[in-house]
Order: sequence, then C-alpha cells, then structure tokens
Amino acid sequence: MLSVFFLKSKRRRDWRTWFGAGLWFALLLALVLYGLIGTRLFLLSTLGTVFMYVVLTQAWNILGGYGGYLNFGMVTFFGTGAYTSAILFHYFGLSPFLTAPVAGLAAAIAGLLIGIPTLRLRGAYFALVTMIVTLAVQILALNLPYTQGALGIYMQPIGLTPLNVERLFYFLFLALAILVTLLVYAIERSNIGGALVAIREDEDAAEIIGVRTTEVKWIANAVACFIAGVVGALYAQRIMYIEPTGTFQFDISLNTVLMAVIGGPGTWQGPLIGAPLVLLVADMLRVTFTSEVNRAIFSVIVIIIALYIPGGVMGVLERWRRRNRRKALSTADEAIPGPAV
Amino acid sequence: MLNQIATIIADGILLGLIYAIAGVGLSLILGIMGIVNVAHSAFIMLGSFFAFELFRRFSVDPIVSFFLAFPVFFAAGVMVYRALITRVELAPQTQGLVAMFGLMVLLESLGTIAWTTDTRVITAAYTNRSVLVGPVMLANVKLIAGALALLMIVVFWAFLRYTLTGRAIRAMGQNRFAAMTVGVNVRRLSAVMFGLGIACAGSAGVTLGMVFPFSPNTQILWLAWAFLVVILGGLGNVANTLLSGLVVGLIQTGVAALLPFDYVYLALYVMLAVILVIRREGLSGAVRRQI
Repeated sequence: MLSVFFLKSKRRRDWRTWFGAGLWFALLLALVLYGLIGTRLFLLSTLGTVFMYVVLTQAWNILGGYGGYLNFGMVTFFGTGAYTSAILFHYFGLSPFLTAPVAGLAAAIAGLLIGIPTLRLRGAYFALVTMIVTLAVQILALNLPYTQGALGIYMQPIGLTPLNVERLFYFLFLALAILVTLLVYAIERSNIGGALVAIREDEDAAEIIGVRTTEVKWIANAVACFIAGVVGALYAQRIMYIEPTGTFQFDISLNTVLMAVIGGPGTWQGPLIGAPLVLLVADMLRVTFTSEVNRAIFSVIVIIIALYIPGGVMGVLERWRRRNRRKALSTADEAIPGPAV
Repeated sequence: MLNQIATIIADGILLGLIYAIAGVGLSLILGIMGIVNVAHSAFIMLGSFFAFELFRRFSVDPIVSFFLAFPVFFAAGVMVYRALITRVELAPQTQGLVAMFGLMVLLESLGTIAWTTDTRVITAAYTNRSVLVGPVMLANVKLIAGALALLMIVVFWAFLRYTLTGRAIRAMGQNRFAAMTVGVNVRRLSAVMFGLGIACAGSAGVTLGMVFPFSPNTQILWLAWAFLVVILGGLGNVANTLLSGLVVGLIQTGVAALLPFDYVYLALYVMLAVILVIRREGLSGAVRRQI
C-alpha cells in the first residue's frame, strides 16, 4: 500500500552534529549506569515515570507533532491497553509482560475505530472526538460487566524487592523510550515523515503531489495508539491495581500534550526535553499545591506557549541557530522550515 | 404504550431544544469564524454554576439568571477573543487548538477549585413539579428550559437574518476578505460574534443546569452533545442547528428508553462516527477556513 524509504539528509554534518550526538550518548550512558548502581527508590521511580512519558509523548508526536493532527485523548488508548492486559491477567492469568503487544493491538484497534471516521476529514474533528471519547470510555469501563467497574482489577505482584521492581521498570521504560525515539527519528528521516509534515503544512498541496494523506494519517495514528497501549499494559503491572478513574485520568492526556508542546512538537528531541521538564515542575508544584491548582498552572503554561512560543524549546533553539547561521553566511538563501505547534 | 411513545417524543423535543441551544454557539463560531472552540462546554459549565451561585446566594430564579447570563458571558467572550483569538487567528490551526485546549483545562480546573467535583443541582420552586399536557406528563423545568432555549434560538435567528449587524456577520462568514473590502469591520464583528457564541454557551448552561445535575469535571459531555448537533446540522445555520438538536434529542430519548443508561454514550459515539462518515465534506465551511 505504502512504500517506506529513507530520505537523504541535506543538512551538512559538522562538528556540532557529532557533538550533539555525543551528548545524547553520554546522557544515555549515565542513565544506564545510574539504573545499575542507583539505590534511591524515589529517584529510580521518578525517572521511570519520566521515561514512560517520553514514550507516550513520542507516540503523540508522530501524528500530533509531525502531522499536525492533535490527539487530546491519549489516555483513552493508554487506558485501553492497561485494561486489556488487566482483563487478560484476571481471566486467563497471563502476565502483562507477555500480553503487552496484545494490549497495544487493542489500543491500535481503538485508535482505528476513532481515526477511520475522523481522519478522513480535515480540521479539528480528530482533536474534538479524541477529547470527547475519553469520558465515554471511562464510563464504559465503570459499567461494563467484565471490567469490575469501580472495584478495579488487581494485578499479581512481581516477586522482587521494591527497589528491584522499580529498577526493572526503569530499564523497561528506558528501553522503550530509546526504541520509540529511534522510531520517531527514523520516521522523521523517511518519506512518511515528509508526508506527515506536508500534511501539516498544506494538506491540499500534499494530496496534489501524490501523498496518500488519509492512509498516512491512519497509519501514524494506529502506530501511536499501539505504543500507548503497550505503555498502558506495563503501567498496569507497575502500579498493580487499576480502576476507571485512576487509569483514565485526564492528566495523562494533558501531560502528553504539554510535554510535546513545551519540548517542541515535530522534532524527535522535543519529547526528550519536554517530559523531564514538565515532571520536574509538577513534582515541585505538588509539594505546595493541590492537583487542581497544578493543572490550572499547566493550562496557563500551555496557553502562553501556544500564543507566544510556538515550537517550544526546540523552536526557540532552531530560530536561534538560524539567526546565527544567517549572520555567518550573511546570505540568507536557504530557508529551513521551522516546526509549528 | 401510545402514551409512552408520546412521552418519549415530547421529552425528546424538549431535550432537543436544550441540545440545540448548546450547539448554536459552537456552530456559529465554527461556521462564521472557523474557530474550533473546544472550550465551549467549559463555558456551558460556568453558565450552570453562574445560575447555581446566583440561586444559592441571592435566591435569583434560574429564569432570571438565564437573561443575566447573556451579557455577562458576552463580555467574557469578547475578553477571550481579545486576549487569545486575535493572537492565533492567522497562525496554523493547531496553534489555536492548543490554546483553546489550554483554556478548556484552565476553566475546568478553576471550576473544580471553586466548586469541587461534587454534582450539583438547582432546586427552584417549580423543580420536581410536572404538568399534564393531554396524555403526557411533562416536567416543569424541562418545559421552561425548552421554552427559553426556543426563545433564544428564535431571537438569534432573527438577529442574523434581519439586522444589519447580523447580515454583516453572515457576509463575514461567507467571505471574510470580500466583507472587508465592502467596509465590514471584521475585527470588531469577530469579537461580537465570539462574544455572542460564548453568551449562547452561558445561557445554555443555565438551561442545562435547570434540568440536569452538573459538575465541573463532566462538562466535556456537553461538548460531545453540542458537537454532535453541530456536525449533524452543519455550520453557521441557526435553523438547521435547531432541527438537528431536535433529531439528537429524539434519538437520545429513544435510545435511553430501549437501552440501559450507560450505553447512551456508546450510541452517541456510533452516531458521531456514522454522521462523520456519511457527511464527509458536508462541513465545507470548516474545511476551507482555518483559525
């Protein structure tokens, strides 16, 4: 249906490129080392959560950042995955580690159910419907016979010490974060990424030059939902108990949007910057404020970024870099398209 | 049996009027300005709490609040337009969407801070009473809310159709730049239009608060209903919105009579999906214009 191939990067490689790559590798090495020798439970579990959000935000980034179709209900697919694995465990005794791909599949199917009618259309239909569906799915989870309603589902504890459990999820989510980041990096460098950016910038023009816009959007959405579902399954095992209001909490949707928007949507670095930043601020705020105040503060940040700093941190960096280069060349003949929100 | 059907139909029509008024604001803002106001239902929620607070503190009747809400929310709408919309109007659509999403979350969390997540009701003197119209028993609140909604929709329709401002607004909806060339002050009228849309949401919130229990964190459900009404009725047309509101109301009471309560939402989503698939490019207004 679609052929996938890589595009040649036109960007010249100089010492800065290698320096950047080196920094990322050093960071990765430090994280792996800390995971091996670190003993502070709090830090391990916080970093595990950061990696989890990196995965979710990267998934969101595929369609939302590159394609410009915003998913305001990431938690729907996350929760679908969590519930799928929980139900499979509860009724068939299967471990979520085994059923995570199944959970991802269930979430991808949910994504297709929502994506097929809404992504055929332009505009905000997808955003609106994803926003609306969360509450409906939560109500379904509360009332369907096999989700045990508000009672929730307990998972089997893993027979390890708390520290080792956290370490396990630390590495699981770290590995997933690396994998998904590599995937997004590959997408950015492939024709699919180009197609998504073309859809974001001008969908009519994209269609005219032969991009199969609808199919590309469907696939991007299904892949994102698959990832969210896998994360949801692991999350269910991690907290060992899921129930509708906690699993389908709106904060997860808000956080993914926030992290992507702050870090810089449509770049593979954006989620890597946004996720730790947001969680750091959230943890600092949590000490002094209730979660509602917290949410209000974050929503104000979202508005401010949308109004004044489109492109987030990466957008600012890109603009700065472009200005420097222009100064150096003093002939501004190459224009690099910056990411929109 | 026949009685039951008559009740379902009467209930559906009254409910439909309320849904229609919830949809009108969304439809006009989307159709005429091309702005996807995802914060619409947050304003509906604020409208409900506006009536609730006036009733609790000053025992103002919700019917009075309905008319009070209009200017208050109009002002709020104009303010939001000036502060937010003017900055993202010419930017890519996603940027405006993110901003409105932020506004929605902000309003919802402020609502939760002020009123917690408890479910509230407004109990006026005529709540829990009903009248017998022919063979059908109708709740007073629904009758009153339906009548208010109908009044508002008719006023809106007449305003857009017969006044000069209304005509200018419709001209702006058809072609913004052409309207500008013939001397329509697009900036000012956009502010007015957005204010009217939010005012509609506020008043709709009052009528909804009269009939249904409400809480800050379930407001998104109203967005679902309003959105359904809008995509069924098309954009920027008051009469069609009224009609589609009635259809949605009738379908809802019909489904509720046959299925357990919770599956209404499933029916809602199926309806949404079916309409989106069938009406593919029916919403040409939104396709052409971006925020």
